[in-house]
Amino acid sequence: MVLQAALEAGMDIPHYCYHPSLSVVASCRLCLMEMKVPDPKSGELVWMPKLVPSCQTPVKEGMEVRFNSPAVQQNQQQCMEYFLLNHPLDCPVCDQAGECYLQDYSYRFGQPTSRMVEEKLKNPKKDVGPRTLLYQDRCVMCSRCVRFTDEIAGTHELTVVNRGNRAEIDVFPGLPLNNPLQGNVVDLCPVGSLLDKDFLFKQRVWLLRETKSICPGCSTGCAIRIDHNEGVIYRLKPRFSPKVNDYWMCDEGRFGWKYLQDGDRLTRPVVRRGGEVFYPRWEDIPEIINYRLRKLAEQQTPTAVVLSPMLACEEAWLIASYVRALLPQAVLVASWLPVQGAEQNFPVGSPAEKARFTIRPEKCPNRRGVELLINKLGGASSTLEDLIKQVKEKKIKAAWITGGYSQRDWVSKELAAAAKELELLVMQDLYANALTDNSHVLLPSCCWAEREGSFVNQAGLIQPFERAVDGPEGTRRDGQYLYEIAGYSGLYRAEKVRERMAEQLAEFRDIYVAPDPPEHQH
Amino acid sequence: MSSDFEPILMRNVGVAKAADLQVYEARGGYQGIRKALQMSPEELIDEVKKANLRGRGGAGFPAGMKWSFLPKERKVTYLCVNADESEPPTFNNRVLMESDPHQLLEGIMIAGYATRATVAYIYMRGEFTEPFHILQRALNQAYAAGYFGKKILGSDFSMECYIHRGAGAYVCGEETGLIESLEGKRGWPRIKPPFPAVAGLFAKPTVVNNVETLCCLPHIVLRGAAWFTAIGPQGSFGPKLFCVSGPVNRPGCFEESMNITVKDLIYGSKFAQGMIGNKAVKGVFPGGLSMGVLTGDELEMRMDFDSPRKFGLLGLGTAALVVFNEDTDIRDVLLNVTRFYAMESCGQCTQCREGTGWMYKIAQRISLGAGRREDLDILVETTRNMGMMPGLSICGLPDGAAFPIRTLVEKFRAEFEQHIVRQEPGKVERVLRVLN
Repeated sequence: MVLQAALEAGMDIPHYCYHPSLSVVASCRLCLMEMKVPDPKSGELVWMPKLVPSCQTPVKEGMEVRFNSPAVQQNQQQCMEYFLLNHPLDCPVCDQAGECYLQDYSYRFGQPTSRMVEEKLKNPKKDVGPRTLLYQDRCVMCSRCVRFTDEIAGTHELTVVNRGNRAEIDVFPGLPLNNPLQGNVVDLCPVGSLLDKDFLFKQRVWLLRETKSICPGCSTGCAIRIDHNEGVIYRLKPRFSPKVNDYWMCDEGRFGWKYLQDGDRLTRPVVRRGGEVFYPRWEDIPEIINYRLRKLAEQQTPTAVVLSPMLACEEAWLIASYVRALLPQAVLVASWLPVQGAEQNFPVGSPAEKARFTIRPEKCPNRRGVELLINKLGGASSTLEDLIKQVKEKKIKAAWITGGYSQRDWVSKELAAAAKELELLVMQDLYANALTDNSHVLLPSCCWAEREGSFVNQAGLIQPFERAVDGPEGTRRDGQYLYEIAGYSGLYRAEKVRERMAEQLAEFRDIYVAPDPPEHQH
Repeated sequence: MSSDFEPILMRNVGVAKAADLQVYEARGGYQGIRKALQMSPEELIDEVKKANLRGRGGAGFPAGMKWSFLPKERKVTYLCVNADESEPPTFNNRVLMESDPHQLLEGIMIAGYATRATVAYIYMRGEFTEPFHILQRALNQAYAAGYFGKKILGSDFSMECYIHRGAGAYVCGEETGLIESLEGKRGWPRIKPPFPAVAGLFAKPTVVNNVETLCCLPHIVLRGAAWFTAIGPQGSFGPKLFCVSGPVNRPGCFEESMNITVKDLIYGSKFAQGMIGNKAVKGVFPGGLSMGVLTGDELEMRMDFDSPRKFGLLGLGTAALVVFNEDTDIRDVLLNVTRFYAMESCGQCTQCREGTGWMYKIAQRISLGAGRREDLDILVETTRNMGMMPGLSICGLPDGAAFPIRTLVEKFRAEFEQHIVRQEPGKVERVLRVLN
């Protein structure tokens, strides 16, 4: 379509109803353009007297269009006057202010005052679902949200009721907007009509800083953006990623990070020796670990490294290659896999091959990355079940176990019991559990938003993510202390580590970074 | 004025039990389809093209040409009968369906045979309760007599016919709004292309024809294209139904050729027989509401497809006249017209959704005696900024909203201004205070 081509060429064409992943309705009439057509008499190309929607017109070889003519601009101004006729002037209390296309376009095409002297229509504020509010009087009737529930979610909760300027978005009685993808309608809404209750009145959007990340919620590995300010995360938003999640993300990912801010995270390293507990400084950790592991090497203690699917590839590689350098016989083990429910394909009921979005049951971001490393590094490897057996049979006497799960109860009774048998347990985790309580060296972890690195999603794409915020006071990024333990000095940068990894492992030469969508597309 | 005009489409109106199959057959009914089945669909389309039968629904698009837009290779074709007659003052389809339902059914069969349609859906205006029962009864009779179903009249032609009742939306008379509604969706007109001929009902090739258009078919088949083109002026051939309403002596539906003028329809002894109390005509909406208004000085306009443009109107429309006399306050006319479109705009395109609502608000204030001169300019400007003709909307509804309002304000501007001048000072502010 011409509109998409123009946006991709960097032009700022105003539009509301058009969205590249939804069907075209051409109803906002804001993207109209002038087009040349052959004159019926002479066959010569002439400007057509009427305007045509650029979102609806396919690009053809040799076609001529223009957006800068007086007729086009007059229509844009006219449309803005209409959009604002019944729109309340409540930007100061509207969450969308600052990222609102009604504001942006008004500054460009709007008039400072309204010519309508009558009272504006007052439409109700509606509670359309457990997570979403609908401010109907701010709506521009682009119907994106309705099309999303029809075409992507396939759940059809939203609809349009009434006619004319009394038309409203609404849900059916007793059927609230409550599908696993519903948060996307808030992102799709070009104005402040659909708002997220979770983010409501929390922060002005111009204060937020954006960090590109990858959702750790499941093995789909959606490209996301973390919006944060002064070290506090306020919301997650999906980023366009044509190979993975298109423009969408699920609510589980969108709201599933709240556990990070619970306030009872592990924050300082602990060393237990005999019955005594010490709290070493972070600076001393590399020496402590080095000393302990060298002792294991001297005594040829059979040792295992348990790699969590919550680790970034770089962190897993740092641990595994460091331990292997000292203990070449060390067994590499892929840790517990959080699996929950069944695969959910959208639109609801569509087969996997036709799905436009999938929520996967594997609730961790990097199983494939960890498995890839274990396979490529070679040597001894095992499963978690076998490891427990081997520990019980005293075939493994030391272990470095990594956790980092959002599930606090991830440690099974068997694992906890087995861990008590170990001569040395080095433990990395977010929260206290049976393993951390019995570890000899405890290293607090940071969550994904506080770290950087890369995850390998279920399709095998290696996707880098950046650090958005700092961990709670006292913590250190896992990558940083692992880097130091492994004998490197200076600042840990995942990219640098990846370069080193790529020297050994060709797979890591090829990472996938989703392209930015056109600047003025929304 | 041709006083020797023999009713054709309305020949059975007033005949006792004309809605019965036996009566219809006894009066020469269902001969058109018998003759049509002897012809090939292509011959039939050619005949209709030669007759230059223009659609009676409002736009006047040639029916034969519409049929020939269907793709050559197609497996399923649907015929939709537009019986959603919801244009104000229009009731010609209603008369045809109530008085002579079999004529419509025969027309449907002929159109179905010509377009190779296997299913016909009659989309009927929801408020038409009586016509529905009459037509359903006739349809049952026709099925029982073998006019619908498999292998009609021993030929290879099979067609089913269903009546679907709308839920009362003006916009469902727009052909793609009708199709959406028939599919069970909100009746929002679709963007074109694709046109219904290519992807219409259930995304299959579809023809949408008006009731009156289809009623012409049996007569064209039986009597030939040459007979049809002998009636009426160049470009507007065939019989036409005209509805007249308003303060006239004899309101009703009349059949004539399109040679007739507005004046004849109002004053003719066979037609409305003049104004009640001999009042002067102040204005006439000659083509339903949507085509625009004529002043009392423009009654010489001929009611054919092409003349209305010369009077600043959109077209012939439904050829339903609503007359208003010298006692009518022009502000009330404006209020009525703007209210209709504000209520019936489907809410999809911005200009129509907001524009019609805004114009209604202005008209409300003007009718309360609190108009401003600039209101008239805003009204005219708004009507210029909506509709399919400037490319600003998906369907023709806003064109239909723009023309009556614009012609009303432009042709009666002096009267509006007179009211504004006579207003007491401060009235606008006072009314706004009350309204707001």
